[in-house]
Amino acid sequence: MINEISGRRFTVWRWVVLAGMVFLVLFLPFPVNATTPVDRTFRIQASRFEYSPSVLSVHPGDRVTIELLATDVVHGLYIDGYDLETTADPGQTARLTFVADRQGSFRFRCTVTCGNMHPFMIGKLQVGHNALLWRGSLLAGLALIAGAWRVRK
Amino acid sequence: MNRLQEAAWEERVSQGSSEPIRSRRLTLPERIDLYRIPWIRPLLQSRWPQFLIRSLTLAGFVFTIAAGLFGSRVGSHNFAIIFVWIAWWTALKLVFIPLGGRSWCSVCPIALPGEWLQQGGILEKRHRRFGLNLRWPKRLRGSWLQSSGFLLIGLFSALTLTNARVTAWVLVGLFGMAIVLSLVFERRAFCSYICPIGGFTGIYAKTAPVEVRVIDTKICAAHSEKTCYQNCPWGLYPVALRDSSQCGLCMECLRSCPKDNIAVNLRPFGSDLGQARQSSRLDETFLALVMIGSALAFSAVFVGPWGILKSAAFAIGSPAWALYGLGFLALNLVVMPGSFALAVWMGQRWSGYKTQLRRAIANQSQVLLPLGLFAWIAFTISFALPKLNYVLSVVSDPFGWGWNLLGTANTTWSPDVSGFSPILQVALLLIGLLWSTSVAWRLAKVNNQSVFRQTLPILTFCLVFSLAMLWLLVG
Amino acid sequence: MHKEWLARIIVIVLVATAIAIPIGAWWVRSQGNVIHARMAETGGWTPENLTTEVGQPLHLRLTSDDVMHSFAIGQSDQPAVDVIPGEMTEVTLTFDKPGKYTFYCTRWCSVNHWRMRGTIEVTGPETTAEAVEPPLYVTLGLDIDAEHHTEVIPEQMPSAVRGAKLGVNIPAEYQSHEYYLSNSPVELWKALREESSLSRHGDQDLWDLVALTWQSNTRPQDLTEGMQLFATNCAACHGEAGAGDGVFADDLDQPKTGEHAVMQAGEMTTLPTDFTDPDHMLAASPAHLQGKILRGGMGTGMPYWGPIFTEEQTWALVAYLWTFQFETED
Repeated sequence: MINEISGRRFTVWRWVVLAGMVFLVLFLPFPVNATTPVDRTFRIQASRFEYSPSVLSVHPGDRVTIELLATDVVHGLYIDGYDLETTADPGQTARLTFVADRQGSFRFRCTVTCGNMHPFMIGKLQVGHNALLWRGSLLAGLALIAGAWRVRK
Repeated sequence: MNRLQEAAWEERVSQGSSEPIRSRRLTLPERIDLYRIPWIRPLLQSRWPQFLIRSLTLAGFVFTIAAGLFGSRVGSHNFAIIFVWIAWWTALKLVFIPLGGRSWCSVCPIALPGEWLQQGGILEKRHRRFGLNLRWPKRLRGSWLQSSGFLLIGLFSALTLTNARVTAWVLVGLFGMAIVLSLVFERRAFCSYICPIGGFTGIYAKTAPVEVRVIDTKICAAHSEKTCYQNCPWGLYPVALRDSSQCGLCMECLRSCPKDNIAVNLRPFGSDLGQARQSSRLDETFLALVMIGSALAFSAVFVGPWGILKSAAFAIGSPAWALYGLGFLALNLVVMPGSFALAVWMGQRWSGYKTQLRRAIANQSQVLLPLGLFAWIAFTISFALPKLNYVLSVVSDPFGWGWNLLGTANTTWSPDVSGFSPILQVALLLIGLLWSTSVAWRLAKVNNQSVFRQTLPILTFCLVFSLAMLWLLVG
Repeated sequence: MHKEWLARIIVIVLVATAIAIPIGAWWVRSQGNVIHARMAETGGWTPENLTTEVGQPLHLRLTSDDVMHSFAIGQSDQPAVDVIPGEMTEVTLTFDKPGKYTFYCTRWCSVNHWRMRGTIEVTGPETTAEAVEPPLYVTLGLDIDAEHHTEVIPEQMPSAVRGAKLGVNIPAEYQSHEYYLSNSPVELWKALREESSLSRHGDQDLWDLVALTWQSNTRPQDLTEGMQLFATNCAACHGEAGAGDGVFADDLDQPKTGEHAVMQAGEMTTLPTDFTDPDHMLAASPAHLQGKILRGGMGTGMPYWGPIFTEEQTWALVAYLWTFQFETED
């Protein structure tokens, strides 16, 4: 009888602990390693259908300048999350300057139809750490535990 | 299932009855029979509603082919590309499959002309019928051809998804194949064994909340004529239906049963999962693994930042494409099946639970179904959500000829979904993982032997896959 | 029985509508004037040749089948309109004078973008043929294909600012516009070197005076217009800094056979000219440069801009080209 009660209490408590961990993973702020903001310039060559370089890594607060160099046809660049856009004709480098104040991983895409694979002409801007990826991965681990417990009940 | 049902289920299995489903008496309490609902019944009983929907999808299909062949070559302004690969694909992955199982098959136009020829009439069967009605060869049964078809799509996906002409010809090809097969073989041979869409729709239908099942098996046992089987275009025997993967929800059995003994049930999600199987057939396992592998490959190629991969996938016929193809096939034929088999084998070894490896693999592959379903939903959201506004503009100007039928032709470039879309994708991947985990544990529990050791390798497989998808989609 | 026939009719009507819409519209559309734009390698403008009459509005509907293009008429005030993939752009043209007009693409769409041209033949009542003056290089009898080198190369980039500070009186004959057009900088330098009044100045000083003279023959608005023309038309091959290293430079300097041949067989494309190289530039007169621009490169890959630029635009572009050699006031 006592075993049963304590068994049930354990069952309840482990869910509380799990819920607590989920809460922590979701809302615990990331350790901030503050870096002095610097000016970064990236010269991106756009061709059909890739950006080169396609992955840009900066620290939060950096002033980022993207120089878009179209090498074959007119290309564009739009950054998700920052809602910034520019278009470059071959021979006319376009410049985009902004402060990377939002952290995470943001895709940038081509905005001028440049051929068949245009909708998949994608690059990535990584500012600081990718909180969503970290939280998602840790939650995946917790999901594993939760799924197992759910059935054991 | 709740605990009472679980206990009853286990009792039946432990009794060693090879076909536990025969002893089921009435519709389980968790089922809602839609066919008994007064306003739904006439819609399913009459042939007209389904026929009208299918006529519309057929007209839409023909229109899509026309747009693909004659419309603008610019994919974003062509009805064929936008409607097939964005509108219909999104509807399929987000609505038809998760909520309706094989519901698209019930309204799909591809099989329609073939069915008309086979039954000699458009609305119902008539006397003069066409077709040789041969039985489908035994060697070609199962979903092997469907998996191969899907792999083929994967190899040529960069071209098909972006070229309106190619899309149109693929649709024409499928259409033609369906008609030819209907004239040679009985029933919906194309749908059951060839159609790549039918393949994965079928396996994911096991997770869906809709099913067609018999109500009282004793009535069926006493009924000798088996009208349901005679009329089923999928060649199924409703009373023996274990899971929903082969049933195309066409409702013919419902209409033809003289005893009104068939039900269209709403049921809890994943009701077909978690049952121990006796079968050692690996075709569905292979298909589930191909879907998982393809989810990774497509995510990397289409929504990843690696231009070299995209160029390789697009340059069909070049050495770079051959390399891409090799990598794609290696992933789907070697890496995924190999690591899954390894995980199952390790689980067996570690737990000491002895059973035929083949059967164990076939059984455990059910775990891959929620995982794959949600990975595909997340991937679909990732590439289709930013492009949904194209649907609006293409409805007004389907051919890219400068029309503006509904005034929406100049819908400006897409709104910023980058705020919630990644969060949604993460949530979906987590749901898939959670669900797969519970299926894995349910399976192990049924077997009741060293549950933790048996399941851990497989759970690791699922976790690694989920982390990979997370990284590809939101990393 | 009735049901079956009704069902058949429904199917036939729906499918026929689905087919009729595109076929009907396609038929209607082919009655109009739709121009498809494609990269030069895959067809260019289709159709390429249009006809109309003086005073008769020519209504065009333009669409692109692949990438971003645009449409403009050479030597006209007609503003360029973007020709967007999958969308229709409408433009109406009216011509006052008969003749052969060239329309062309103004947004780089491939290395052969400049070949994307078509003609509009405008017929009208017979008028007296306007006397067309030959370009200056023809009048002067210049061989613009001949090798030209500068014997004396300045040590520093010649600066008009420094030249102005020298406070020297340059003889009037060298400051005239005609002199500027017909002579190369090195010729002026050599002439100045001969001048006894300037004998105490060093070589670099004289180069600065050359720069000053050149600057005095160009107006700021010419430089602005020239810069714009250069950016739109020349920078893609010649480079934004004029160093012959534009984005298409690699494509032009290719083996002439096999899959790398970007031009038709027999043509010999070369690296675009480096405008920052004094050896060639200082030995060329503005007329020489104008000739190159108007006539093109005879198979080297340099386009011929004769039908596209007005004379004023060409001189503005030439004026801008000198800024790669001379420092001028901003």
